[in-house]
Order: sequence, then C-alpha cells, then structure tokens
Amino acid sequence: MNNYAFHVLRAGLAMTFIWIGVLIFQDPAGWAAFIKPWAADILFVSPERAIMGTAVFDILVGVFLLVDFLTFWASLLASLHLISVLAVAGIDAITVRDIGLLAGALALAVFLWPSKKGLYLLK
Amino acid sequence: MTALSLLFTMAALGLSETAYLIKKRRAMEAPVCPVGEDCRAVLSSKYSRLFFVHNEIAGFVFYAVISAIASFLVIGLGSFEILNLILDVLVFAGSAVSIFFLYLQWKVIKAWCFWCVMSALTIFAMAIIILSVGFKLTP
Repeated sequence: MNNYAFHVLRAGLAMTFIWIGVLIFQDPAGWAAFIKPWAADILFVSPERAIMGTAVFDILVGVFLLVDFLTFWASLLASLHLISVLAVAGIDAITVRDIGLLAGALALAVFLWPSKKGLYLLK
Repeated sequence: MTALSLLFTMAALGLSETAYLIKKRRAMEAPVCPVGEDCRAVLSSKYSRLFFVHNEIAGFVFYAVISAIASFLVIGLGSFEILNLILDVLVFAGSAVSIFFLYLQWKVIKAWCFWCVMSALTIFAMAIIILSVGFKLTP
C-alpha cells in the first residue's frame, strides 16, 4: 500500500467510525435493537448502555485514526470490533457493508503490523 | 441529516489534513506535496502564523469545532438555532479567511501550497452545503 492509499483509507474509515458513533448517540434504542437476543442476554449491562459504550469506542477509534495517532492499535481494535458486530448483529442485507469496513480496517492493521525490530508504537 | 453528514465529512477531511501538517511540523519534516513543489515555501513563510499560532493549528481547532457542532446538531444537544448560527458564522468567516490566504499565495508569496488550497476548497464546500439548504441544517 503506498502512502497516499494509506491516508485515504485511514481518513475514510475514521470518518465512518466517528459518524456511526454520533448516529448511535442520536438514537441509542434504535441501534440497541440490532443486538441479537442471545447477545443481549450475556451482557452485564442493558443493551442501550452497551450500545452507548460502543458509540464512545467508535468515536475514540475514529479520532485516533483521523489524527493518525496509535493507528496500528486503532485499526486492530476497529477490526476486532467489526468482527464482534458481525457476531452479535447477525447476517442481514447490510452485512456486506460491515465486511467491507472490516477489510479496510484489517488492511490498515496488516500494513502497520509491528516489525521484528519492535512495536510500531516505539518507532 | 444529509447536509450535516456532508458537513461533518468535510470537517473530518480538514481535521485529517491539518493533523498531518501539525505532525510534520512537530517532526520538523517537510510535508509531501502531491501536486507542485511549493508547499515548503508557503508553510515556512511569515504568513504561516496569522493568529499568533501556526495556521494549521488554528485550522485544526476550526475543523474540530465544526465537527463537534455538526455532531451536536444531529444528537440534539444544545439550542438548535444558536448552534446553527455559530456554524454559519464560522463557515463564512472561514471562507473569508481562505480567500485571503489564496490571495496571499497568488499575489504575495507567489507560490501555491497543495494542502492550503485543499483546505480552502474544503471550507468553500462547507459554505456551498450551507447555502444549498438555505442556512437551515436540520438533523
């Protein structure tokens, strides 16, 4: 991946993550409905509270990606988060969009994967 | 909603650009100029610091405030009228400052900086979005 492609993908993913976080804050109950009943049953908090936590997480990951700070960790967490979304939200008509986002986040994480010399953070 | 999401996208683009320039200045590295070679001439000129801080820092704060206000309007936090007014004033003041910066590059510094022109275009796009909805950004 060249430098320009990296920045385009990073900024694009960042905008998506932050905006999703904002939209969750706008309608937490509506977004909580996406959580499958089996997943809601194993939560320690109410689905609405869990989805609010997700919104904070999305915004933080998005901001880190946007300003290119701890980008490896942000993209890795974004990938893990999207995998969990695919697991708890089930398969529906918009699943393909999450798969696209997951591929983008994974591409960033793989691109920035720590080398043998040390962690990306320490470079 | 669509206008606000577009406005937010533009502000996030601006945040990303200015964060890149801040990072490069802190590392004392020259930013990459995707088009032309004059970025350094503009970014190291005496006009790179107009409001007592470097322009990219002022720009970062500007874009951060715009994105925050767009988010507040969507979530429904604060007074809709006041936030709308602040957003309109900020974007049109930003457009005026951008026109001034374009004039400086064209006539005074006589060099064009890709990132500065991109930032100006981003702010003009925001102004067009606001004009296209008649100054009413409804969530």
